[in-house]
Amino acid sequence: MIEIRVDENACNGCGLCVKDCPMQVYEMRDTVPVPVRVASCMGCLSCHEICPAQALEHRGVHPSRRHYIDIRVCEMLNRVI
Amino acid sequence: MAEGTVPQAKEAGSAPTVYRSEDVPLQCIPPPDELEDTLHGLMKLNGLIIRSLEEIAGRGANAVTYRAGRKYGHEVAKYFRKIEDVEEALKELSYILHGQYTIEIWKPADKDRYIIEENGSTFIYLVFHDCIVRQTLRRNGQPQGGPLCLTLFGYVVGAIEEITGRKAKLEIVHTGPNACLKKLILQ
Repeated sequence: MIEIRVDENACNGCGLCVKDCPMQVYEMRDTVPVPVRVASCMGCLSCHEICPAQALEHRGVHPSRRHYIDIRVCEMLNRVI
Repeated sequence: MAEGTVPQAKEAGSAPTVYRSEDVPLQCIPPPDELEDTLHGLMKLNGLIIRSLEEIAGRGANAVTYRAGRKYGHEVAKYFRKIEDVEEALKELSYILHGQYTIEIWKPADKDRYIIEENGSTFIYLVFHDCIVRQTLRRNGQPQGGPLCLTLFGYVVGAIEEITGRKAKLEIVHTGPNACLKKLILQ
């Protein structure tokens, strides 16, 4: 079962998550998106990616394999950080 | 001395001068977990081919890749047992493709059945979780839903047509970073 949390302090109310969700999981209420149909969420994480404030948190999502991370760039970043 | 390059290996005398057919290794060398560079090379190559195809063929690229995928789907699935039940066929396909793609039959919360009948068409929603196509596209910074995605659509459609004997069509509903939603329309 997927669980979605919206950080109301971080959210800037842009509504991009509401527009982007294909299953209309979110509804805008007083400039804050509220996940009203969480049972319809398929865990694509588009809202997560599109959110400019990184205000969304998903739990219980099946994480897909990610082989596309550029290992060379990561190695360089690790050295810098 | 480390034998990293071809000249180094030759110098060390480890490269056989005569290569007989029985010398061909029966297992993956090096082990798959050391093949990350190869995987990235393949992803880059695939992305490059698709980008060039799009530049040359324009929208025709979609037709080419869809056709290729569909043909491959038919080729692969002709060895599988025939199943009339589409749901079961999809589950079988998901099992077969496991490792490359993870396909889940999905329904919105307000639907009772996986097979949905709406506006005169019958369809099933599919969620693609693990997908090498998505990874390739994201690795190369290319948008999802283009010709490479259509190869996969063609593949699924071809396989389903072969397994069930029914004509089918696949439609992209949504593409995301973690999963994509597709609609398998049955005819």
